[in-house]
Amino acid sequence: MTQRGSIRIEGAVKKHDQLTVLHGIDLDIKAGEFFVLLGPSGSGKTTTLRVLAGLESLSAGKVFMDDEDVTSKEPGERDVAMVFQSYALYPHMSVEENIAFPLKMIGQNQSSRNLAAREAATKVNIEHLMDRKPGQLSGGQQQRVALARAIVRQPRLFLLDEPLSNLDAKLRLETRIELRKLQRSLNVTTVYVTHDQEEAMTLADRVAVFMEGKIVQIDTPRNIFARPATLTVASFIGSPPMNLLAAQWQGSTITFKNGDSLQIEQSTAASREVIFGVRPSDLAPSAEGVSATVELIEDLGDSITVALLIDQQPIKMKLPHTQLIKENETIKVSCQPATVHLFDPLTGQRL
Amino acid sequence: MAAAQAIDSGALALARQERRFAWYLLGPSLLLLLITTTAPLVYLGWTSFFRLDMTMPWLSGFAGLDNYGKMLGDPRFMNSLWLTVVYTSSTVCLQILVGLSLAMLVQQIPKGQALLRIAAILPIVLAPVVVGLFWRTLVLAPDVGLVDLVTRALGLGSQNWLGDPQLALISVIAIHTWQWTPFAFLVFLATLATLPADVYEAARLDRANAWQRFRYLTLPLIRPAIIMVVIMRTMTALSAFAAIFAATGGGPGSSTEILNLYAYRTSFTELNLGYGSSLAMVLLGLTLAVSYVMFKRRKAAK
Amino acid sequence: MKQTIPRQLMLFTAAGLLLTVWAFPVIWGILTSFKTERDVLAYPPVWIFTPTLDNYRAVLSGADSILPNLWSSIVVSSTATLLTMLFSVPAAYAIARLKYPGKQTSGFYVLVTQMLPPVGLVIPYYLVLQRIGGLDTYSGLILIFLTFSLPFAIWLMVSYFEDIPLEMEEAALLDRAGRLRALWYVILPQVRGGIAVTTIFVFLNSWNEFMFSVLLGGNRVRPVTVAMFNFISVEQTQWARLAAAAIVAMAPVILIGLAAQRHIVKGLTVGAVKGGGRR
Repeated sequence: MTQRGSIRIEGAVKKHDQLTVLHGIDLDIKAGEFFVLLGPSGSGKTTTLRVLAGLESLSAGKVFMDDEDVTSKEPGERDVAMVFQSYALYPHMSVEENIAFPLKMIGQNQSSRNLAAREAATKVNIEHLMDRKPGQLSGGQQQRVALARAIVRQPRLFLLDEPLSNLDAKLRLETRIELRKLQRSLNVTTVYVTHDQEEAMTLADRVAVFMEGKIVQIDTPRNIFARPATLTVASFIGSPPMNLLAAQWQGSTITFKNGDSLQIEQSTAASREVIFGVRPSDLAPSAEGVSATVELIEDLGDSITVALLIDQQPIKMKLPHTQLIKENETIKVSCQPATVHLFDPLTGQRL
Repeated sequence: MAAAQAIDSGALALARQERRFAWYLLGPSLLLLLITTTAPLVYLGWTSFFRLDMTMPWLSGFAGLDNYGKMLGDPRFMNSLWLTVVYTSSTVCLQILVGLSLAMLVQQIPKGQALLRIAAILPIVLAPVVVGLFWRTLVLAPDVGLVDLVTRALGLGSQNWLGDPQLALISVIAIHTWQWTPFAFLVFLATLATLPADVYEAARLDRANAWQRFRYLTLPLIRPAIIMVVIMRTMTALSAFAAIFAATGGGPGSSTEILNLYAYRTSFTELNLGYGSSLAMVLLGLTLAVSYVMFKRRKAAK
Repeated sequence: MKQTIPRQLMLFTAAGLLLTVWAFPVIWGILTSFKTERDVLAYPPVWIFTPTLDNYRAVLSGADSILPNLWSSIVVSSTATLLTMLFSVPAAYAIARLKYPGKQTSGFYVLVTQMLPPVGLVIPYYLVLQRIGGLDTYSGLILIFLTFSLPFAIWLMVSYFEDIPLEMEEAALLDRAGRLRALWYVILPQVRGGIAVTTIFVFLNSWNEFMFSVLLGGNRVRPVTVAMFNFISVEQTQWARLAAAAIVAMAPVILIGLAAQRHIVKGLTVGAVKGGGRR
């Protein structure tokens, strides 16, 4: 028996009066996958999530769940559960009543409801809070109640709208791990929206990167990190973000504005302008390379981040803490040819 | 694009459900309002074009704009308009001045605010007609009333508060102000409590004195509340009836006969319902005009 | 910063003024209701006197009893309040949280109906009710009470509904509640306080109403506000009895006011900040 929970979106377009929010989204999500929609605010990722929920209608396009066309189906009829960013807990009901509510709505009797609610609560470790009201809980506890309410129905799809954004940093990290474990144990298709690329990288089986209402890349986190498809994706993923410099490319040589050059793997016949990209952790001081002035050194304990200027452009370099560099020094830096990313300056596409 | 159309109808079905639900909920009330408010007003307008004098029923019939024409030459009408303006503006200004001052003073007494709240609520929950009667008898009556006792104790003698035309107007304004100032007081007290404390601390550091702090910080910050109070109190003052009716009945003569009362007396004491209708129409127009202007200003202020 | 003595004095004067000017008259009225007519008219005023219940006896039993009027008030006010709440709560929910065509206009219409001067409504009502024999009937009076209660209640409830976070219905819909059950199980419990406050205000407004009661009521349907005038006429004023009648007539609203004072204050300020309101 094939597992349920495969999702497909075809050509989804959403307009708000004259403003187009989604420019034609295509998504194919496998059953049981942890799929992340990543992008900056306003990029359309939350709208897409709400389209899956049935809370937003489409101007054009279709949504399929398990090969069934659900585009015109109401939110309640899609067998989908959602955790809102604000959790949307029912403040006048106890935790138990909150979690049991979806079951009450489909007519389950009280005792089986409460049993299922308790089971769901145990999965997220809040079974001791069943009699409290949401107002008496901390942010983290409220979030778990929202999760429990979502899983109690055993839906075919979980939708999570930036569930960690209201938590403090430490709690965020802990909850992230728990979420992943929970999803693995339940094996339910999960679509997760976030603007935090670190969250996306650590949680996702696959990521869809949203920019301005379009998807610019769908791939595993590793692949997106290793081979970002566009300039915007490259500058969005990774912390600190990828360094990007304008340069000339001819043959196998990249020449920078200050005259220094580097050898790379790819080669081209004619000379062309490119955007040269390299991650801070792939740069290192070397004998031969591009000259740079050290501006500032941030000592993070186990590593140092060096802010450099190449051609008056700010560049960052990440090194182990054992390296000795001094501020205001002029040094040469270089990188392995395999770690170089090249982008077309006009289209932003990867070369 | 058949596919797109299919999608639209699906999306529309969801929106259609919401619309239908909304109409089930709202429809009955709208219908009720139409029957109880709009239809009567249309009828009122209709009546205003008729001559409908119960004391001279043989003269009833269509009269066109006669009633309205009559108004223009009616000194009692002009008087009532003037009184309405004076009454409304005086009481609203007083309510705001007194209410705001008291609120600012009381705000600084954290204890005992509960007691003051009770004192403020009492006038508001009383029936205006009872308030009017009360002031007529126990407060303003000669020999027995509170005010009389006080003025005599202070050696200022007795005044005929409700019998003297000038004093009567002052009296009814005082009555209305007495009853409704607590409303302004409570609203301002609540609003003042929401003002951010750190802004005042910054102002103190900038060497602003109390008056400056009031003028440049407090006033602008509570401006929305002031506007709202003005609107609500003006509406109440324009339709004030029971208290004046109970205290003076519109008299002595016509010295407290605001338009409201003039329309009432014309219709139900002099039984000239046609003319009374036209007077009521003018009041209606006045009220709508005033509320329109006020809401426009409120929107502009936002 | 230390409070200086004159400043404290000023504050207490203000508070004292408040209490004296606003609370004292009511206390004076209560005192008067326990005096004999002679004591009331005495000058200098008597502070120590033998209280008597005669006035209350006269007002509550016997020929001048206002008990029938109390009954009229109870019937009319309660029914009007109940009907108002039944209609206004769903209507307010629709205006506050649902999307439908004509939303702006209907909201504006409700707002405008709140501003109508009563004298403008009472004339046509009188004419129509007279023709169909609806004067001096409970239904006739209750119907016109709706004209000022319904828009006011809708507007007040709208502000309470607007306070609920937007996602409540969405979460309930996803939980398969459907629109009606979402309203019943999720939204309404959250505006319980608002419903209480609105009910109180609507009841107060109805109980204290005068103009409609005096013109459209009669001998059978005669709320207490009209009955007050039994004790005052051109020839004489029965001071003490009037005071007693006033106390009895106002006792319900005063008690409600004291019991629900926090609610009332909150209701006043909510109404003032968020939208129009007639009281």
